[in-house]
Amino acid sequence: MTVDGPVRVLSPFLFLGAKSVRPQPEQPTAHVGVAGSVMDLSDSEDDLYNERTALVAAEKPAVPSYKPGSDCSPPDGSPTKPTRASGRAREGASDQEAEAEEEELTLKYGAKHVIMLFIPVTLCMLVVVATIKSVSFYTEKTNQQLIYTPFTEDTPSVGRRLLNSVLNTIIMISVIVVMTIFLVVLYKYRCYKFIHGWLILSSLMLLFWFSVMYLGEVFKTYNLAVDYLTVAMVIWNFGAVGMVCIHWKGPLQLQQAYLILISALMALVFIKYLPEWSAWVILAAISVYDLVAVLSPKGPLRMLVETAQERNEPIFPALIYSSAMMWGVAMASPVDAHSSETDEEADQMVEGAEPQGGRQGAEEEQEEDRGVKLGLGDFIFYSVLVGKAAATGGDWNTTIACFIAILIGLCLTLLLLAIFKKALPALPISITFGLIFYFSTGFVVQPFMDRLAAHQFYI
Amino acid sequence: MNLERLPNEEKLILCRKYYLGGFAFLPFLWLVNVVWFFREAFVKPAYTEQLQIKAYVKWSAVGLLFWVAVLTTWITIFQHFRAQWGEVGDSLSFTIPLGTP
Repeated sequence: MTVDGPVRVLSPFLFLGAKSVRPQPEQPTAHVGVAGSVMDLSDSEDDLYNERTALVAAEKPAVPSYKPGSDCSPPDGSPTKPTRASGRAREGASDQEAEAEEEELTLKYGAKHVIMLFIPVTLCMLVVVATIKSVSFYTEKTNQQLIYTPFTEDTPSVGRRLLNSVLNTIIMISVIVVMTIFLVVLYKYRCYKFIHGWLILSSLMLLFWFSVMYLGEVFKTYNLAVDYLTVAMVIWNFGAVGMVCIHWKGPLQLQQAYLILISALMALVFIKYLPEWSAWVILAAISVYDLVAVLSPKGPLRMLVETAQERNEPIFPALIYSSAMMWGVAMASPVDAHSSETDEEADQMVEGAEPQGGRQGAEEEQEEDRGVKLGLGDFIFYSVLVGKAAATGGDWNTTIACFIAILIGLCLTLLLLAIFKKALPALPISITFGLIFYFSTGFVVQPFMDRLAAHQFYI
Repeated sequence: MNLERLPNEEKLILCRKYYLGGFAFLPFLWLVNVVWFFREAFVKPAYTEQLQIKAYVKWSAVGLLFWVAVLTTWITIFQHFRAQWGEVGDSLSFTIPLGTP
């Protein structure tokens, strides 16, 4: 019995994701991020693929930024001018100081956030690459394809193949666009129950069905005999605790681990079922779509984020990875605040900024999660890129090059986030770099190095 | 979710829910309960609800050990005797290894 068949049929998975990098709004349940990938088990084989990656920046410290001299009143008369000028200069200087401090703070936040996101992204990619390299199931040639990529790539001529992959991409992207718009419409009209049911079905499918498949393939690879009872217990525990952690309350690290795991599972399914060339074209197209959807004023994802911020509520439960950092829990416990004050200067400045932020309207409990949020769709597509590179790209050079490219892209995206402080798409830069590195390493660097090694020529 | 921020009553409620949930054949939930609430129950200075939380953590640990014992026994038995059981062994197996046992 192969499990491919049912997967192919059920693979109309609903993927909801909004790609945006956005400043974290002050919300009571801020850490329970929203937006991610949703999988749907609809019988109508309706593939819903929206993905959303929301990268949420840390809260801006409540230090107003002055433009030196902008708030100074024009001098009344010449006698008072010198004193006024010097006063203005001093004010200007201190304003500049405040601004410089704030910039420094922002960049220090940014630096920590980069590290905080490197780790989960790296872990997800590691899981995917490790699976690809060891479990042959995910790289086996299969004639089955998702119904969203109906055109086959098994054609003799290059032109035909290219055409087919472009057509596949068009179909896939239009499905995604339709689904995103559908999601935004649902959200606008407050059909929360529907959305929640959708999300729960999707995570159920991911946590149970795909993990059974995965476990089965791993056991087959390592030639182990496992009985149904053990598998049932393991999957039941894994899935049930996953549902509890992701959709209800659970320890943060466990929730993060589960989100990483389901992203990896999803990425593996993509790697298996997307035909070669279509996968690359889809990756490129989806970065463009991400850019458009998040940044353009009428973009669905932007509207989603804005609506959520207007209503002051988290976007969707459990579909954003949140790396919540506890910045000196100043109000919750004095001990913690004190110990974090002895930390480096940045934390001290954070301590100073935080009570201000707190007084400005957020309640005490909401100050904690000044983390960055990245939507699960981002994880998935990064891992798809690296996984495809590992599966088809020759050897480790290509894989590692793509990995580095994605991390660099992520760095740059976070830098932009620190500068712009609004929702930004996390895919375009990373995927662009990843694609460039993949093709150049695969076609230029690799043969070059092979030739050098063959001729024992060391540079 | 950060336990630090919750008031004590809510911690107790959460701990209890995790404890009760574990009875649905979910030793993993008990494990999470033990690890997550360990500091609350045993390291933190005493507060009113801590006694009950301690009790829940202890009983979760007991249940966890029970399940670990049961599963280890079953897995050992299965791995050892699977080949000898012939057809019954095969029908119980999720994956059957290739090659001779």
